[in-house]
Parts: sequence; structure tokens; C-alpha cells
Amino acid sequence: MSSSEQSKSLHLLGSSHHIADLAVRERISLPQNKIDEFYGGLSALPGLDECLLLNTCNRTEIYGASKNGFSTNLLHEYLSNFQKIDPVFLSKHSYQHSGEKVVRHLFEVTAGIDSQMVGETEILGQVKKAYEDACQRNVSGKMLNRLFQKGFQAAKWARTNTGISKGQVNLGNVLCELARRIFGKVSNSRLLVVGAGEVAESAIEAFKSRGSQAITVTGRTFEWCPLSRRKPSELAEKFGGFALSFSKYHESLHHFDVILTSTASTRSLISENEVKRAMKRRPAKPLFLIDASVPRNIDEAVANIDNVFLYNMDDVSAIANENLKSRMAEVERCRNVLSKKAVRIWDQMTLHTLPSSSVNQSTASNS
Amino acid sequence: MNFNEARDLLWTASILYVFAVSFGFASTYFSKNNFCKQATLFAIVLGFFFQTRGLYLRGLEISGCPLGNNLERIQFITWSLILTFLILRLLWKLNLLGSLCSGMAGLFGIISLANVRWDHRYWTEDSYQRLFSDPWIELHASIAIFSYGIFALLAIVSGMYLIQRKSLLSKKSGIWGTFLPAINDLDHSAFRLLLVGTLFLTLSIVVGGMHWVHHPEFVTTIKLFITLLLWAGYCILFFLRYSNRLFGSKFFKTAISLFIVAMMSMGFVNSKNRHSSLPTSSLKAHDEQ
Repeated sequence: MSSSEQSKSLHLLGSSHHIADLAVRERISLPQNKIDEFYGGLSALPGLDECLLLNTCNRTEIYGASKNGFSTNLLHEYLSNFQKIDPVFLSKHSYQHSGEKVVRHLFEVTAGIDSQMVGETEILGQVKKAYEDACQRNVSGKMLNRLFQKGFQAAKWARTNTGISKGQVNLGNVLCELARRIFGKVSNSRLLVVGAGEVAESAIEAFKSRGSQAITVTGRTFEWCPLSRRKPSELAEKFGGFALSFSKYHESLHHFDVILTSTASTRSLISENEVKRAMKRRPAKPLFLIDASVPRNIDEAVANIDNVFLYNMDDVSAIANENLKSRMAEVERCRNVLSKKAVRIWDQMTLHTLPSSSVNQSTASNS
Repeated sequence: MNFNEARDLLWTASILYVFAVSFGFASTYFSKNNFCKQATLFAIVLGFFFQTRGLYLRGLEISGCPLGNNLERIQFITWSLILTFLILRLLWKLNLLGSLCSGMAGLFGIISLANVRWDHRYWTEDSYQRLFSDPWIELHASIAIFSYGIFALLAIVSGMYLIQRKSLLSKKSGIWGTFLPAINDLDHSAFRLLLVGTLFLTLSIVVGGMHWVHHPEFVTTIKLFITLLLWAGYCILFFLRYSNRLFGSKFFKTAISLFIVAMMSMGFVNSKNRHSSLPTSSLKAHDEQ
């Protein structure tokens, strides 16, 4: 047993949909173009040996590993300064964990039981991506490597051995059900996706599986989407859809029945006037808009236009969770088992020496 | 129950419609229960059969189309409503629409039967002359009432649209939102119903007009005014919808409002009391024709 491993601890500072509404999350969430700068300052914090940032629509979490003496308050102070948020405001809308509680929390996150849509699987992909990113930046070390590898295993166990993933909680399926209530047959509705992230892919997959042929993808950065790190045209090609130039899609809004935005843009992409213009060209046909972005990409005022139905992530999640009330008993069982697993893993992490071979960073993409 | 008594048959039909709506909602809440779905349709069909026979017997009794009092008019409209639903059901399997139609038919049927004053026996009075001695007038009245049945169905479809829309705007997946048809489908159905209903109403006015030009004394001014106003209302609604100037919730709210106006004006469009306001010689002359 190594004394240095024994004395290490885990830290977590986070804010999620449990404690912060959409407007607050927009303030705390880190823009994609500031991630490099954020990591630069974070890894330089005194006493912090390892760090990892999980930045999704519904949560912003900073995981850290350090020798004894590091306080989670330092993470709080750093985030507050970086995002220029009042520390009291941040305290009110964030949580801090350390030690075994960090393990338990991560297990619940990866398993999807801490998600807004309980049991959803997208979060696992997002955690894997965040971990991969930290590995590439060489800011994740033995402690966090082991923690996240165990987190991925816990997620797999939960989905295989409990009923938390039964039923339709997937964002794409929920969107398809809403589209059915508006247009009847989903296969007849024309879908435009702005962005090429995981949410976009999930929606396209669900529409495609229901026979939709008219799927169009466009992206702010048409050559490369920062969320998915691929071209929108690749996503369109994967599902047999069409790629549309970002400069042209504003003029073509009236051609589409369902429009989903899922980008990391910090400004509004679809304004009220643009939707009004589009509706004048299709007055009696309803328009279904889904804003899956944080910060929001569609002007909220469009919801006041007749025949326009605007949903954001919170709305879609609320519907999914409403459908999933019956799962809650299963969630509780899952939480209990994961809690026991977390205690066991934490004991192993603190009482035994970590074999370096088990935490090879290259396994991140295979996990 | 006496199967040769019109009121008994109409009571039975109304109760069957109430059963139908109960089974319909049960099948909505327990969607896996196929028995409830079948029972709903069976109760509607059986109710329609009894209602048809009840109206037929009443027609024989009064020697004309049974449209002489409030009960008869309401029963004829609900009969038209159910008939239209049964025809539409051959095209679309709209179970919940059937439940709502039978609910309306059952409710209005019971109200009209429970209110005895609405079924005064006008045909037993000494002054009673056969209401529709002219077959053109019977045709006019029956087509007009049938169009009212279509407009009743339009009002139900409009209600379904508004419920589905409210459910979507409230952003909750309530039981109604899940089982109601899509708003786009309801919009298409409403447009077709409005078209068919307006055509039937126009036809009835043309037929009635042919009689009116020869015997203007049989039509009161208020009846003429209300009938034309209602017809103009539905025509304007149709053209506004056709030209996409009125759509969405405003269109459906207008359709419901027009139907309420149509129901409230039912008492005014009855011309059977003409005898009291016309000289006896005139009536005799008409009867001799």
C-alpha cells in the first residue's frame, strides 16, 4: 500500500438541473471556446493533482483528485471567478462532495439515475467524451482514471440488471411522440436539425426509425461541429439525409415541420421574426420547434405565435419523467446497490495500491 | 319497454349512448382492454338502431318528418351526428370520437326526454294540420337538420383540437393528449366536415327557397333572417379557412360558437305555428294545393 495513494482524496463541485433551473445553468455552463482556458487555470490550482470537466446541457461538474490539504472551496472560488458569478449565487446553485460521495455521485450520473430524464443513456456518452478529453489533455491521473473506469462499469451493471432503462425516455423518442401528436404520421414530417451533437443524432435516429425520409442537417460550423467533432454533412450522410448550408437555412424554415437546434452557440439562432416570416408561408400548418441547446438558441417569444409549438430541454425532460413515474421504485433499488458499490470502490481506492496497468489512459475510448 | 313506443325507444337509445361513452373512456384508460372498444361500437350501433326506429314511429304518428318540437329536433340532430360518425368511422378508426359523439347524443337525448314540455303532442291538437304536407319542405327540413348533425360533429372535432392543443401547450403528456388524434389530422377532418356541412345547408336552403318563392307567407321573417345568417356564417367560415385567413384555435373556437348559435336559434326556425298567425282561408288554400 502506498502512503501517497492513501492520503489522496476526491473532490467534486457541480451544478445540475436538480439545483439550478435553465436560466441559472446557462450562466454556470462553460462555453465551448473557453474550455481550454478553463482547463489551463484549473490544472494550475495549487494542490490539485488531477481534474476533469463534465459540461453538458444539464450539468456542469468539476471532478478533482488531490493530496490532503486541498479544499473543494478552491474549485468553487475558481469557477466563480472564471465565470464572473457571485460566489453566494454559485453556492446557492451548486453542490460540493468529497471522498466516497464523489464515487457514489459519479455512479448515479453514469447510470442515468441522476439525469433529468431518468434512465437515459446519452449521459454515459457525454461522460466518456469528457473523460477522453481530460485524458488527451493529460489532466486525468490514476485516481480519476480508476474512478471513471468504475463509473462506466457501474453504468453497464445498472442498465443490464435493473429496469431503469425500460420504456421510452430517450429524447428522440419523446420528440417523435410529440411530433405524432402534432402531425399524425412522423414519417410525413420534415425534420431540420441545426447542430450535429448527440442530441441531434438521437433525434434523427428516432425519426429515421419511424420512416421519416426528409431529414436535413445544418451546422453553424459546417465543416466541424464542436459538440460532436464531426461535420453535419457526415451525420446527414449516416442517416441518408441532406446537408444544408448554414447560411441558407434561415430562408428555408417554412419547408420544415420539425426544427431541432442543438448547438453550443451562445446567441439566438432563430428569432421571432424569422419564425413569423416562415409561418406566413405555411399559415395553417403547425410548426414544432425543439430547443435542445444551453444557452437557448430559439427566441422564447416564438411560443406566442399561433400554430407554433416550442419545447426546450426542461419541457421534454419533464414529459419523459412524467412517463417514467413507475420506474422510480426501480431507481431506488438501483441507487441502493450503486451506493454499496461506491463504498466498496472507495475502500479499494483508499486502502490498496492502484496497479498502474489498470488505469491505462488508452482504455478510455474502449470503455 | 314497449318497442312500438317512440319515447321508450329514444330513452333506450340515449341510455345505450351513455353506456357507449362509459365503455369508450374505459377503453381509453385501459387501452389493452379490447372488450371495451368493441362494446363501445356495439352500444353506438344498437343505440342508433333504436333511435332510428323511435324517430320512424314518431314520423308515422305525426304523418311527417318528426321536427315539430324541441325533443324531435334534438333527437334528429343527434341521429344525424351518430350517422355521420358511423360513415366517417369507415374511413378513419377514431374510437375516441365515437365516445364523444355518443356522449353528446346521450346527454342531449336524456335532457330532451326528461323535459316533458319539450315533447308536447302538437299533432293531437284540433288545429294541427300536417306540418309538412309538401315533400319539398320535408326534404328541406331533413337536409337542414342533417347538416346540423355534421356541424355537431365539427364542434366535437373542434373541441378535440382545442384539448389536444392545450395539452401540447401545457407541455404535459396527459391521458387526453396521448389518445386524441393529431392536431393536423383534426384540422383536415374539420375542413372536410365544414365543406360537407355547408354544402348540405346550402342545398337545404335552395330546396326551402323553391317553396318559399311560391308561399312566402309560411316563413316568418325571423326564421328567414336567422337561417340566412347562420348559412352566411358557415359560408364565411369556410372561405376564411379555405383562403388560410382563419385557422388554428381561432377557427375551431368560431366553429364551436357557430354551432352554439345554431342550437340556440332552433326554436326560431320552426314555422309550424303559422296557423295561428295566418288567416284560415289561406291555410285551407294551402292544404287544398
